[in-house]
Amino acid sequence: MNLAINEIIAVILLVCSLFFFLASAIGMIRLPDFYSRLHASGNSETLGLMLSCLGLVIYEGPTLLSVKIVIVFLLVFLANPIGTHILGKAALKSGHPVWTNKDKEE
Amino acid sequence: MKTKDMLKDETIVGSPVKHLVVLACVLFAFWLLLSGRFEFKFLFYGVLTAIVSAWICVPLLLLPNVDGTKKYFIFDVNLGKYAMYWLWLLNEVVKANIDVVKATVKSEMVINPRIIRFRIKMDNPMALTTLANSITLTPGTVTLNVTEDGLYEIHALTDGAAEGLLEGGMQKRVADLFGEPFIYEVVEEGEEQ
Repeated sequence: MNLAINEIIAVILLVCSLFFFLASAIGMIRLPDFYSRLHASGNSETLGLMLSCLGLVIYEGPTLLSVKIVIVFLLVFLANPIGTHILGKAALKSGHPVWTNKDKEE
Repeated sequence: MKTKDMLKDETIVGSPVKHLVVLACVLFAFWLLLSGRFEFKFLFYGVLTAIVSAWICVPLLLLPNVDGTKKYFIFDVNLGKYAMYWLWLLNEVVKANIDVVKATVKSEMVINPRIIRFRIKMDNPMALTTLANSITLTPGTVTLNVTEDGLYEIHALTDGAAEGLLEGGMQKRVADLFGEPFIYEVVEEGEEQ
């Protein structure tokens, strides 16, 4: 089995990105309330997607397809926080209570 | 608003013609990247569509400030500096992400969720948007609300994330990027309701 060096790097990056997606899913289940879960769903995915896009770009090499992958990543990079923000703002406006460490003791 | 009227509008920051040219260039670069063909025919079509779309879209990309006295064009920033800012932000995102993952995956979660507030005076709506977007992108902090007078309400997940944000490094960078004066204060809990 002979793998090119860029394939090896790509696989490593993809596995790292899977780790962050997994951490995001774990955080989604474990965190206590809606606001904290926003962090898990919105943010860890940004890094996961970043690593997988980087892996694909390295696998693909310097072609036009790489540029398009980067554009897809930039779009998510700009749009993901907007979605998170809108959900959070809606929750705040409707008066959803914020879980703090004081609630843990009860 | 028609583009013809826009050319005479005095409230726009910078020159409208320059904004048209910048937008046309950005759109043409995007066309080249997506089409990937460099024969004369395609370049010609590209230039034509870029100019027409820029002519139609420039009025839509002008953002009025809060009191409505000025209009800012969204690409009216130093694009090189803007790119540097996003690279810096990318680095911050990676660092903060690792912290948050560490905090949530441990068997005893090290979190302290709460709402923090700060106030920053910036006139350019793009600056306010960039700051809100950057805060949400950085793991551990999510912008919940931005009021018209520049009060940010932010949900912070961990102590480290909250303190890192309230130090004001990111706010200073955004203010510098848009050439705004840096007027920044932390609003303590209970002071503002």
